[in-house]
Amino acid sequence: MQKYQLITPEGTRDYLFEEAALRSRLQQMLADTFSSRGYHEVVTPSVEFLDVFTAGGNPLPVEQMYKLTDAKGRLMVMRPDNTTPIARLCASRLKGSRLPLRLYYSQPVFLAARKLHGQWDEMMQSGIELIGVSNPKADLEVLVTAAKALENLPVQQYSVEIGHIGVFHALIQELTQESEIQATLLELIDSKNYPALNDLLDGFGDTPVVQTLKQLPRLFGGEEVFARAREWIHLPDAVKHLDELELLYRRLCALGLENRVSVDLGIVNSADYYTGVVFKGYIEGSGVEVLSGGRYDGLHRNFGEDMGAVGFAVKVDAAVDVLLKNARHRPAPAQVLVHCDATHQVKAMEHLDTLTESRIRAEFSVFETLQEAVDYAKEQGIPRIDVVGDCITTMDPREERGQGA
Amino acid sequence: MKPIRIALTKGRLEKDTVALLESLGYDCSQLHNKGRKLILSVPDAGLEIVLAKAADVITYVEHGVCDMGVVGKDTIMEYGGSFFETTDLGFGRCKFAVAGKKGQKENLYTGYQVKTIATKYPNITRHFFAGKDMDVRIVKIEGSVELAPLLGLADAIVDIVETGATLRENGLEVYEDVAQISARLIVNTVSMKLYRQRIEEIISRMEAAIAEKEAMNS
Repeated sequence: MQKYQLITPEGTRDYLFEEAALRSRLQQMLADTFSSRGYHEVVTPSVEFLDVFTAGGNPLPVEQMYKLTDAKGRLMVMRPDNTTPIARLCASRLKGSRLPLRLYYSQPVFLAARKLHGQWDEMMQSGIELIGVSNPKADLEVLVTAAKALENLPVQQYSVEIGHIGVFHALIQELTQESEIQATLLELIDSKNYPALNDLLDGFGDTPVVQTLKQLPRLFGGEEVFARAREWIHLPDAVKHLDELELLYRRLCALGLENRVSVDLGIVNSADYYTGVVFKGYIEGSGVEVLSGGRYDGLHRNFGEDMGAVGFAVKVDAAVDVLLKNARHRPAPAQVLVHCDATHQVKAMEHLDTLTESRIRAEFSVFETLQEAVDYAKEQGIPRIDVVGDCITTMDPREERGQGA
Repeated sequence: MKPIRIALTKGRLEKDTVALLESLGYDCSQLHNKGRKLILSVPDAGLEIVLAKAADVITYVEHGVCDMGVVGKDTIMEYGGSFFETTDLGFGRCKFAVAGKKGQKENLYTGYQVKTIATKYPNITRHFFAGKDMDVRIVKIEGSVELAPLLGLADAIVDIVETGATLRENGLEVYEDVAQISARLIVNTVSMKLYRQRIEEIISRMEAAIAEKEAMNS
């Protein structure tokens, strides 16, 4: 049998040094943004029962989940999503809590990506959920938090794009009740596949709804999108959602985000999950969106709680990859190496404590001889060695040539 | 300003794509004399052209290292991926078809035996027969798929048919069409938003050029 003892599974990776440091720094920045706005952290198990994620027709892809069985033979999965366990939590330990709940998380999800496409199976996500309210104020709060989250990251450019799944739902209900055609239309609009969309819709005659659906994926851009959309969208249900979206857009602009926020009425992915405002965040240099979210008023019903919720997740790894491309720094070496002979270990350790307490980054030399310590310090670029004996002498390893010099 | 990078499929679609770009007024001289260069620039247009194998065009666009790509619908159907597929460029037209030995179509669709299908496109084949509720055994062939039924390995093939000449010369015939194919313009989902104006301009100019060409041909 082939041995896999030295490699990590496809879709996973080790994070080393500046990679790990950057990832936790970004997580910390996001956590700071979230907690400054009153969100509280929750941590859920890495492994849960499969049933949690399939309850009530939750559209998560079961085929892509990492599955295992527990000691009783029950089917478990590695957490494929962060929002669902939080919905479970709200229906169990947080049941009856004063609403709204403001929760945030920072933990990985596991989903088997397509192989050999350079995608990751383990993805760190930091995000928030605002649970228990379904109104425009909650949408605004979560969108502003999303913008702040990206703004507080050390990236050059970011943008946030908003849409409303209700517009699509209203139009498609008017067109057909056949779920297969609805699913195909969703796919074509989501991929902005104008030619195939036109072909499919031509079969429904030249009604106003057909004309509007043909335009839907093209309705993206800045403020002008609303005027263009109003030429096409007249169905009362759709107009209502468009009004909601425009109000939200205007409020975001009034907050100084007019150069950051754009509109795409063709964001329809996960239409069986989202029920209202949907949004995505982009940063320059990443070929995939780094933030996605929206309103999902149906999910909590699957756990017996009829309440609305809105939230988003930041794909931390995607941001890490962009930032590492721009700047890759080796971790800084220690400032001092503390060396001693066998009889002065306690004194040396006490000296190291005094250094670290005054915020000097110091390493305890574990070498037998001073020469080994000097060589090590030279290689690592440590500029100072404190040799602890009866007294403490400071030396610069770069000035040490050879033995006894 | 960051150039918009377009990945073109080498080979079958290359000539028509370059012709389309030239009809838009882009200076494609580097594309005609490319030598060994892999990334070619289009002077004064803020464009860069990359020539790649069909499936790689999708990969580069999906990862956003190329903003746009020109690739056949056959490759899109086989490899999938997430990107915007905005325009049917109208050239590179052909079709996917099920074909087999002449006069033996009935054998493929009747009887309870599991049939063997040879193809270069296993995903399309699996999807097509699953849609017909037919369990088939799929064998992937890398070269001339037409050989497989002649040698007795397969009951039929799923392959691209342009003129049908190869099939006829080898005593094969089309049993059934699977899908129509042509070249498509694809766009990375983030690039479409970050460079919207420049990309939309390229798309609408292409659409206009294609419409003009079609009007001339009809």
